[in-house]
Amino acid sequence: MGFFSKIFTWWDGATIGTSLWSALNGEQVGTDLAGNRYFRAKKRVKAGQPFAGSERRWVIYAGANDASNVPAEWHGWLHGSVDGVPESRLPPPRVWEADHTPNATGTATAYRPQGALERGGRRAAASGDYEAWSPDA
Amino acid sequence: MADRAPHPDTLELRERWGSFAWTPANAEEAKKIVARYPEGRQRSAVMPLLFLAQYQVGAETNTQGWLPIPVIEFVARELDMPVIRVLEVATFYTMYNIAPVGRFHVQVCGTTPCMLRGSDDLLAACKKRGMAKGHTTDDGLWTLTEVECMGNCASAPMVQINDANYEDLTPERLDHVLDELAAGRFPKEGTQDPARHTVEPVGEPTNLAAMMTENHDYRGEW
Amino acid sequence: MPKVTIDGEQIEVPDGATVLQACELAGKEIPRFCYHERLSIAGNCRMCLVEVKPGPPKPQASCALPAAEGQEIRTDSQMVKLAREGVMEFLLINHPLDCPICDQGGECDLQDQSVAYGRGGTRYYENKRAVTEKYMGPLIKTVMTRCIHCTRCVRFSEEIAGVDEIGALYRGESMQITTYLEKAAAHELSANVIDLCPVGALTSRPYAFEARPWELKKTLSIDVSDAVGANIRLDSRGREVLRALPRINDDVNEEWLSDKGRYMVDGLTRRRLDKVWIRKGGKLQAATWLDAFAAIKRAKPGASIAAIAGDVVDCETMFAAKTLLGAMGSTLLEGRQTGMSYPTGNLAAVNFNSTLAGIETADAILIVGSHVRWEAPLVNVRLRKAVKRGAKVFVVGPHWETTFPAEFLGDDAAVVHELPGHVTEALAKAERPAVIVGGAGLAAGVLDAALALDVQRDGWNGFNVLHMAASRMGGLMLGFAQKGGIADIARAEPKVVLALGADEVDWSQFAGSLKVYIGHHGDKGAHAADIILPAAAYSEKDGTYVNTEGRVQFAEKAVFAPGDAREDWTILRALADAFGVRVGFDSLAELQAKMISEVPALGVEGLASYGKLPKAGKTKAKGAIRYPIQDFYLTNPIARASVVMQRCSAELLHGEDLAEAAE
Repeated sequence: MGFFSKIFTWWDGATIGTSLWSALNGEQVGTDLAGNRYFRAKKRVKAGQPFAGSERRWVIYAGANDASNVPAEWHGWLHGSVDGVPESRLPPPRVWEADHTPNATGTATAYRPQGALERGGRRAAASGDYEAWSPDA
Repeated sequence: MADRAPHPDTLELRERWGSFAWTPANAEEAKKIVARYPEGRQRSAVMPLLFLAQYQVGAETNTQGWLPIPVIEFVARELDMPVIRVLEVATFYTMYNIAPVGRFHVQVCGTTPCMLRGSDDLLAACKKRGMAKGHTTDDGLWTLTEVECMGNCASAPMVQINDANYEDLTPERLDHVLDELAAGRFPKEGTQDPARHTVEPVGEPTNLAAMMTENHDYRGEW
Repeated sequence: MPKVTIDGEQIEVPDGATVLQACELAGKEIPRFCYHERLSIAGNCRMCLVEVKPGPPKPQASCALPAAEGQEIRTDSQMVKLAREGVMEFLLINHPLDCPICDQGGECDLQDQSVAYGRGGTRYYENKRAVTEKYMGPLIKTVMTRCIHCTRCVRFSEEIAGVDEIGALYRGESMQITTYLEKAAAHELSANVIDLCPVGALTSRPYAFEARPWELKKTLSIDVSDAVGANIRLDSRGREVLRALPRINDDVNEEWLSDKGRYMVDGLTRRRLDKVWIRKGGKLQAATWLDAFAAIKRAKPGASIAAIAGDVVDCETMFAAKTLLGAMGSTLLEGRQTGMSYPTGNLAAVNFNSTLAGIETADAILIVGSHVRWEAPLVNVRLRKAVKRGAKVFVVGPHWETTFPAEFLGDDAAVVHELPGHVTEALAKAERPAVIVGGAGLAAGVLDAALALDVQRDGWNGFNVLHMAASRMGGLMLGFAQKGGIADIARAEPKVVLALGADEVDWSQFAGSLKVYIGHHGDKGAHAADIILPAAAYSEKDGTYVNTEGRVQFAEKAVFAPGDAREDWTILRALADAFGVRVGFDSLAELQAKMISEVPALGVEGLASYGKLPKAGKTKAKGAIRYPIQDFYLTNPIARASVVMQRCSAELLHGEDLAEAAE
């Protein structure tokens, strides 16, 4: 990623400001499979401010700033539902657990039902359908 | 009754019974039966002919007899009527066996008078010998059916085995009858109560006792 | 004429009427399940209970009770109300509450009557009876748990169809309706039991779970599967005809319909011609209407143009073709595709003169070369009725399975000239003798010999010709006949032949002509054609049809033709523009007005009058009679395209065991 794009864009990863702030005031607690890095503030929120006494937690995405990149186990941690990081409290992943995939809506890999033209447009039979004759038949 | 169903129409069945025809004696009998009915109403003979056919099958298989599908079709041909009409008759009357029966068809009456006099015990006695309602035992000896009133209420409870009635039964007396039959002997038909000859009152008459000696006029006592 | 009092109102009823009929006359509705006007009285559903005085002090079954002088009948008393509720409660004891998944829902007698006459709730908490499904063939779907044992189906197959195959086995609660050994019901009218069934026990298998009756558009139409012209109702949703049901017309089909007429409708959505095709280099290629018209114009037919009408076209189409050809200066019209050439100068000689209803009253019937059961199943029903009244039936032609006692006299057509003594005697002595000449008979040339038979009495004309094509009588009235039949047209070597849905023609005799097929199904005709113009089937256009007894009937348009297909007359009208000739109509109404002005009989619904029978000619009948129908279920392009008809043919006629595969 070029230096200038780092300065002028905000939609991929962290801006320079965020990176700096994270380095100074935060400590990294872990990364997930996609490479997203999870931080928490070194100090608790000061008294007199909203959420006083709680811990600030944030994520720096490995790619696009798309909240659905966060897998379920880190989602809980980020939102303060749990105290410890996922590794500390979750059982080891089962073989049948699928890897997390971000929401694909709006992308080429979005789910489309079989009636959609991108999937071949095979729709269910409807009243008025007919089978046309062709001389080869 | 609901479990009554015609024996499946299989190739083996066709092979065994497909060539069914009257024996000379039965052919004569069938002719006599059909002749009872007026011209154009020969179909009325369907019930006696089905019985005759059942007896003939019985004679061939040494049982009470039953009606395989090809035999039903034979009767239909004899009377020139649609098979479905004959099958309707054969399935309507439970006295026609539409599935094979064993050597002895034990028909236990379960209607009210017999039930009050202990037909449940008779059924239990039959079941003790391995019989089950609607089934033939594995040795092919017994088929058990519960039937409705056979008209022997005065000597209830009763059991009909093939064509013979055995009345005034207790489980012990029934056991005796079945043992005799299994041994190839034929016990006395009718009442099994040694104190009884037919259906006369047991011991002394209790009703109309005055009639014993004279033609007593009861009218004044009503 | 007994006088009875019904709910305090005195009316006079005909002799022999039942109490139920008397109540109907008085305008009272009597609920019923087993009673049916056209079947024998069974009296086993007990739904029609009414209170009758004098008589026992209990409700009586009105369907089986003769109306007698002085009866006081009440249909509105408390006793009657309670009796109906009681009967309904008993019927519902063993009837499943599966209306939401039942195809009869919405047109179910039990549903309607339980709403009208039943109790509000149930008092029955025991287990219900269940009955195993029975296989009744490819057309009838059974859910026998729903059966209420009205025995209408049993009585129909025994009395009307004459094929004893449905029966009631076992007794009491265990009673079950079934075909013998669960074989398929294999006769031409089997599906009528579906209409008769008052509940959802017998429903239509091809129509299973397709639609609800209230979402269907009902269109009055005419059946084109044979020449009887049965009155039908086409039920359609959107652009698809989902089913055909018979309408009541006592003069034509009573209330029955042949299985073919009922179930070929699924053929209307298969093998459809939906675009224009032009043969280029020996191969048909998709094209546009303009290309096709240009190609036809290039043939420059002038007066050398012919039209051959198929078996299922309407009079309007034939008249449009006739007008077009007339404008071009041609009269090469023919409708008898297979090459028959009987004289058509007097249409009375090729008409079913006794009328379909009248043949019931005949007392001696000679059938010459007609497999009536296959060529016109509904006429067969009438013949069976006639025989039940005491008629004698003789048949000249190969043996077929009759549903009534009949004597077969021989296969050779020449038998008509020297009928056995007892046959001539029976015909001579009969008060209403009839002869029925079928298509095979016409082909063997028996027309003159049959005309020579004396079958006319005062007020009775027993000379009948039984056609097989719905378009035949209409075509003959419009002049679609050459003296020498189709051979005359072949001899004229027309440059252009218009095939109006003609699929039975031997096209090799028109090798030099430009064959333009105007039709709706890709069948034999389309494969032989040089240019295909897609047209509308009988369900897709308003049309006039004339049945074999000369009865003019109108059919209405139920749905639109698929794709590029157009109504036939518009195609012929456009062709006129392409040729630069005037036909004098721009709308269907104008066409019909013109047609009626030329052939006035086509404008009046009902029997057309053809006048007196001609004198018999001298043609000798000879040769073995061969019935033209080889397969009852596949006689026309629509039926041949129908999956249901194909399956019926395979299973019922050719004995293939498809029962398992379908489940």
